[in-house]
Order: sequence, then C-alpha cells, then structure tokens
Amino acid sequence: MIDTLFSGLIHGGAYALVAVGVSLIFGVTNVVNFAQGSLVAVGMMLAWYCGSVLGWPLIPVVLAVVVVTAALGWLINAGVIAPLEGRKPIAALLATIGVGQILDNGLQLIFGARTRPFPKLLATSNLQAFGVRFGTSDVVMIVFAVLAMAGLWAFLTYGKAGRAIRATAQDPQAALQMGIPVKRIRNLAFVIGAVLSGIAGIFIGLFNANINPMNGGSIGLTAFVAAAIGGLGSIPGAVVGGLVLGVVEALGVFWFGDGAHDLITFGALLIILITRPQGLLGASTNVTSEPMTGTFLAGARPIRLPWWGNLVLALAALATPFIFSDYLAGIGTQIAVYAIAAVGLTLISGSAGQTILGLAGPVALGAYASALLTTQLHWPFLVALLCAGIIAAICACVLTFPAWKLSGHYVAIATIGLGAVMVALIRVAEPLTHGSLGITGIPFPTIFGSPLNTPQKIYLLDVAVLIAALVIVMRIQRAHLGHVFDAIGSDQEASEAIGVRTGAYKALAYAIAAFLAGLAGSLLAHQYTYIDPTIFNSNMSLLILTIIVLGGMNSPLGAVLGSIILIGAPELLRVVPEARILAYGALLIIVIMFRPQGLFARNATKG
Amino acid sequence: MTAQWKNWKTAIRSVLAATAASALLTGTAACGLGGDTAGAASAQGDTVNIGVLYPKTGQYAEYGRLFKQGLDLAVEEVNESGGVGGKTLGLKYFDTQSDPKQDASVAPKLASDPSVIAVVGDYASPASAAASPTFQQAGLVHYGFNNSSPTFTQTGDHVWSPAIGTDSYERVYADAAAKKAKKISVVYIENDWGKQAFEYFKEQAARNGTQIVYESSYLPDSTDLSPILIPARDADPDLIVNIGYGPDGALVINTLRDKLGYTGPFFGGQETAEFLDVAGKNAEGAVITGSFSAEGTKNKGAQEFVKAFNEKYGNNPGNFEVTAYQAVKDLAYAANATEPTREGIQKALQTVKDFPLYQGNETTFSFDQKTRRAPDIEPILLVVKDGKFVPYED
Repeated sequence: MIDTLFSGLIHGGAYALVAVGVSLIFGVTNVVNFAQGSLVAVGMMLAWYCGSVLGWPLIPVVLAVVVVTAALGWLINAGVIAPLEGRKPIAALLATIGVGQILDNGLQLIFGARTRPFPKLLATSNLQAFGVRFGTSDVVMIVFAVLAMAGLWAFLTYGKAGRAIRATAQDPQAALQMGIPVKRIRNLAFVIGAVLSGIAGIFIGLFNANINPMNGGSIGLTAFVAAAIGGLGSIPGAVVGGLVLGVVEALGVFWFGDGAHDLITFGALLIILITRPQGLLGASTNVTSEPMTGTFLAGARPIRLPWWGNLVLALAALATPFIFSDYLAGIGTQIAVYAIAAVGLTLISGSAGQTILGLAGPVALGAYASALLTTQLHWPFLVALLCAGIIAAICACVLTFPAWKLSGHYVAIATIGLGAVMVALIRVAEPLTHGSLGITGIPFPTIFGSPLNTPQKIYLLDVAVLIAALVIVMRIQRAHLGHVFDAIGSDQEASEAIGVRTGAYKALAYAIAAFLAGLAGSLLAHQYTYIDPTIFNSNMSLLILTIIVLGGMNSPLGAVLGSIILIGAPELLRVVPEARILAYGALLIIVIMFRPQGLFARNATKG
Repeated sequence: MTAQWKNWKTAIRSVLAATAASALLTGTAACGLGGDTAGAASAQGDTVNIGVLYPKTGQYAEYGRLFKQGLDLAVEEVNESGGVGGKTLGLKYFDTQSDPKQDASVAPKLASDPSVIAVVGDYASPASAAASPTFQQAGLVHYGFNNSSPTFTQTGDHVWSPAIGTDSYERVYADAAAKKAKKISVVYIENDWGKQAFEYFKEQAARNGTQIVYESSYLPDSTDLSPILIPARDADPDLIVNIGYGPDGALVINTLRDKLGYTGPFFGGQETAEFLDVAGKNAEGAVITGSFSAEGTKNKGAQEFVKAFNEKYGNNPGNFEVTAYQAVKDLAYAANATEPTREGIQKALQTVKDFPLYQGNETTFSFDQKTRRAPDIEPILLVVKDGKFVPYED
C-alpha cells in the first residue's frame, strides 16, 4: 500500500512539473496552450539526441533544451498567438492545436517513430524506499518542480517583469497605458512556459525511461487535467494538482486495475470540478473572461443565404451522390457525418457560448446504442438511428448536468472529462458493450428493406440526414429559443437578471447537440460495421470543435464548409505523403490567421 | 406565436420536401448509386497492383516501416521471377495512421481503382474492419495479414487472414507458462486484441491447472505501471506474464526489474528491435510466442528470405516483416495459379492448396474455407538470449 502511494507521489511529481508550465501560460496570457505537451516532447527528443547520439552530459543537454525551447516559445507567440491577440481566445486555442500537430509530426519526421530508451543523464533506480526503487533523477525532478513553483511565485509577486506579466494578464489595455511593453511581456511569458516544458521533458524522459516522439499529446492532456484540478492559473495549485492526480491514479489503479485508468483520471477531475469549481487552490475570481462570449458573437455573424440559396445548395448536395466516384463518395460520407455532429455544436458552442470539448462521448453513445439495437434486438435501421440520437441526448444530458454551473474555461475542461468518462464507461460496461473487444458485424443501413451497400447510397443517406440537421438547427436559431441561446452566449449575467434559467437552456442546447452527435455516431457505426472505444478519442472531439471554429462558431453552413476542409484536406494532401499531417497543421494555422471569425461568418462591425 | 408556428410549418415543409426529393432521386436514379466498381473489375495495362493500407505516420508508424520492408522485398522478387500472369506487380501505398476514419475514406479509392487486384493491411483490427465492408462489396480480396482477431474475417467471403489465430498463440503460451510455474500474475494490454488474447490464455491456464494469482489490464498509453505491477509482484507468483506489444512490454519488464526489484522469470515483449533496444539487458530471458525465427528457422524458403532480407536491409527480419513479405508472395502465387484479376485472387484463395509459407516448419499452407484463416501453422516460442530472439527450448 505504502509502496503504491510512494510511486504515485513520484509520478505526480512528473505531472506537477508540466502542469506548472500550463498554469503559467494560462494565468498570464489566458490562452489554453494545447502545444504545451508537444513542447515537452521537443525537450525530451532533443535531450535524447544530445544525450544518446552526441553523448553530452547533463548540463550541456539542459542548456541546449533551454535555448531551443525558448526560441520555439518566442516563435509560437510572435508568429501565431500574438497576431490573434485580444480578439478570440478560442482562435488562439485552435492555433496552438495546429502548432502542436506541426511539432509532433515534425519530431516524428526528424527522429523516426520508434520508441527508444532515454539516456541516463542522472542516476535512475539507485535509491530505495518502501520496497520501491527510485533515482536521483526523481528526487531532482520533484525538488526542481517545487523550486520552479517557488521561483515563479516570487518572480510574479516581487519581480518587475513578473508584476508586469500579471498586470498584462489582468488588463492588457490598462497595462499598455501604464507603459508596460505588453508585446515583450507576453513573449517573455511564453518563453518561460516553453522553457519549463522543455526541462520537464528531460525529467519525464528520465522518469518514463522509454520515450517516443508522439508522447506529447497524452502528456499535455494529463498535465492540463492536473492544472485544472489544482486551479488553472494558480502555480502552487499546479504542483498540488499534479501530486494529487499522481496519488489518486496510483491508488485507483491499484484497486480497480489500469483498464479503468481513464475513468479514474477524468472521474477525479469531474468530482473536483463539481465540488470545487475553481479547483483546489484556484481563487474563485481567477477566471474573469469567458473563452468565447463577447468575442465571436460580438465580432461575427454567420453569413445567411436567402431561402432559394439554401434550396439550391441542398439540391446540389443531394445530386452529388449520383455523380461522385466511389472515392469521392467515401470521403463524402466522412465529411457529412462529421458535419452532422458539428452542426449541432453550433447551437451550444456558437450561440450559447459553451465550449464543448467532449462531443466524442455522445457520438460513442449513439454508435453503441444503434449497434446494440440492430445486432441484439434486430430493430430496423431507421428506428435504431432515431433512438441512437435520443439515447445519446438523454444519457449525455444527465451526465453533463452538473457542468452547467461552471463558468469560463472550466466548462470546456469538464466536457473533456465527460467525453472521456462516457467512453470509459462504455469500455467498462463489458457485458453490454463487449468493452475493448468492440462490436463486429453491424449491418449496413437498410431503408425499407433495401441495404445501402455502395458508398454512394450511404453518402446519400448521410447527406439527407445532414440537410435535416441543418434545417432543424437553422429554424431553432431563428426562433425564440435561438434568441435565448444567443442571449446566454452574449451575457449570461444579464440573461439571468431578466429571468432566463441559463443552466436549463444550456442543457437543452447541449441535448440537441448530443442528439445530432448520436445520429452521426449511428451512421458511423453502420458504415464501419465495427466499433470499439478507441475510435471515439479526444482527437474526434477536438476535430468536431475545430470544424465549427473554422467555419464560424454559430454558422451551421460554416460547419459543413469546415468539415469539407478539415476532413477533405488530409485526403487532398496525400500528394505530399511524408508531410501530410504537418501540412494539415500549417493549413489550420493559416486559415485561423486570415479569417479568425470563421470562414462562413463576417465581422459584425463591417456590416 | 403564429409567426413562430409559421416558421415551424416552413421548416417541416422543407424537411418533407427534402425527404421527398431524396426519395424520388433514390427511386428514379438508383442506377447512378451503384458505384463505379461494378464495371471496373478487370484491369487494363501492363501493371496490376496490390493496395496497401498501413500506418506510415502516427503512433504505429514503426510497424508501418517494418511492413514496408517486407512488402517491397517480396514485390521485387515476384517481378524478377516474371511477375504475375505476364504483368508487372506493383504496390499502391496508402497512409492511414491505422485510423478507422482514414481507412474508411481511402477504401473506396482502392476499390474503384481497376488496377488493384487485392488489398493488404491495416495494422490494427478496428482500422482494417472499417475498410473491409467496402472491399467486400467491390468483390476485392482484403488480405489482413496482421489481423489475428478471430472476428476479423466475419465481414464477408472476400475477407481473409493468413495470420495465426490469437487462440493458437495463447494456447501455446499458456502451456509454456504451465511448464514453468504453478502460480502466475498476468498483465495485458487493454484493446481488442489484448482482451481476447487474455481470455484464451486464461481458458488454457485453467485447463492446465495454472493458478492466476493476479490479473489486470493496462491502457496502451499508460506511462507508469507500478500500481498494477506492485500487487502483481506481491502476489508472490512463480512467473509474471505480459500479453502486449513491444513498447509497453519493455515498460513492464523495466518497471519490474528496475523499480520493483522483481528477479523471477518473465514472459512478454515483442520480436522487434524496438523492444530489445528499450528493454536492454532486462529483456534477457523474456519468452514470447511467434511464428518465425530468423536465427532458428529450418524452413528452406524462410532461410532464403532471411538471406535476401539481410542483403537488402542489413539486419534480420522479424515476425512483422515476414508476414508482410508472405502476404505479397501468397497473393502473387494466387494470381499466377488463376489470373491476375480480383476474381482470380478470390478463386485461388478458395481452391489452391499450396500457398508458400515462410513461418513454422511447413513450406505450404491452405485456407480453412469456413473461417478464411490459415489454420495449420503451429506457433513457436522465442526467448531473448544475448540480446537476440532465439527459439526457446523448455
């Protein structure tokens, strides 16, 4: 028991170190940096190269990592984040996703995909306590995490540049008026955060012992969870959050096995967010600005077409299955399915202003519901499709209800947790869902007795469902209900003041999104004929959100356009197979830079 | 109120109109939805291709690299000895990252390419299974050479797998464990393959009277396995068994030996340079199942393959390379036995009894027509000795 606790504490130290960087950048720039994990991976791979291939000792390795990650941090801020400054935090968030993709795949291109042993820059496994061996490296790691925390705290509280960083975080305009060079200060914050990540990469490498260039994603996500548990923006909170997460995971896994790992990690996150919405050490006033409200809504309106324009588009879309080749129709099915899920998201994330980063959860619920109804109970496809949407809406709604009392970035974080928990529950509910084994032999969609067995026929079905989804969502947007959603998204307090029960309306908007996500899941399951929990991962959630940000947050037609670009691009980019995903990241950044309000939306101020 | 009702009426009307329109279109022009595969099955030109779904990038890219080495070598050899039915054999590679979404997108492209006479891959079963229905519809053989999941071939009669079934592997593994130990701890990877493999292993262990004193799965991306390996160690087993892949196998043995001071015997790992490299000296003595050993094979065809592989790449091939190599050889053999078309390949898989075999001791095999799998290859046991996998003698 004590040995498990002890090993959890050491692992928690590794989490804490990365979480400090996450919290710093969030606290001073209000940007959720999804490239943080990738920067850790940069530090890790660079240290591997210098330590293993070049045979350098620790100090030069650390220096090399500091120089390179500092340069990257500056480059990311100056090149990508700063141009989006003050306009749309959510656009900056997406830009960091693009940066993360470029870094991850760049590392893989440079270093190759193999998992490899990390050089022993410091002694590992040379000490022993409670029946667990650990190394000088682990001791140095935890000491460094605590020192970094204390140093940052002192710097931000007493240092001149540190106080300037905090002033910039609180009010960039006021800071600028007081003569603070806001641009330089933000660069500084990013450089510090990046360097911390890079150094964390060295320690994580020593701790994990075997490393892979693709490790960045999961490191970043866990660190993000740790930072949220501690309280986003609170540096001591990040350390406490990391240690707590390490211990909770170790004990949970000890009792329930590692198969329940995700359930434990994200379950812990949810329980803490529900009982202490600002995190363990976060000040309740810490999150002052909503990630989206007052940004996209004030700045952008969806481009609306006249009724005949919509009709022409709908007819054109319905005609495409008849002229598309198999390959185009195959891509078309994927585009349409993701567009269906994204169209629903425009209501909750666009109009009502709640960032949903866990939509893969309802998609999975719909896919499983439909698969089980058709394979176990032999229901006809169309009935199963409809039920899949309803079941997804009900289950997702019940699970998500406690999240609506959260505000700002915490809603987004809670939905990451909820998406993961829904999929983890499906994995654990083995007698019903076959868990990790997945469900095979799901029948092709059958309409009135005739199976849809060509890509074109499935594509036609998907387009028909997509058009229905578009009609529903556009009608809701124009109806009274849509205006209520808009009001909540624009100013939640004002809406409460005029008697709108915002929590209930958010839940309703989410239920509609979950219903459409459930339909998308069902269509996916019947096209693949096989599903298992790994299909519905956090990348799927991220992709769906990216689609609507690209298209214009509250623009249903924009969601379709976003889907065409984001699903179609990896296929188009097959002309450059080596750098396909790299080019995809670059494309994402370029689009966000040039049309931050979304492709199918216009700036309201320009009319 | 009335204005809103009007809105809704328009909405309902447009939904109805759209549905009616689509129903009409489906009814009148159903022929247009038949797909372009129907008339495209026969190839024109001098080259026929095998489509390859594989992870060139992403988390499984290392396996993609190994597959490609085996596939490229096989195609070279096939063409040097005259190609297939007078035509040149080519490979059309498609990077899918072993991601079901990308497999589903790219499958129709392969299915509608008349020069493609069969498809091999993908690495993982969920990805392969997302592509199979399309190939089944197109009458195109999907040859999932790495898909040992028994359910993989159930999609339809054009879906085949020469991979040794997970059940045979685990039977042999559990028998070997039984010879070594009475009490064992087992940890296995939490995915479709690992789960299934563990079930088979457990069944056979029960038959052998081996007592499993601790069991737990672990997620593929977990980085600290101490919380399950501490109880696995403390259950005081005679042997710890790991059913998983290479990187996680290395993590398990490194944690056991370096962090938890476990000194007893260990079954686990994967026959890749990656595993040997990452686990280092901890790998010594680790026992796994396989179908092929470059060092110890007595199969003459396999010995020639090892020689050719060494000449081309400068190192010995492992199980991933040999299965990929054999997949192309089998399909070329099928095409030569009948004709280099989609129908020819399917017919050959149903009738030919002597496909070339480079694993195990036999030199040929045929398919079980009920399961569309290769039933007769006996798995072998490999052990790490002096940093290399060699046949295990117990």
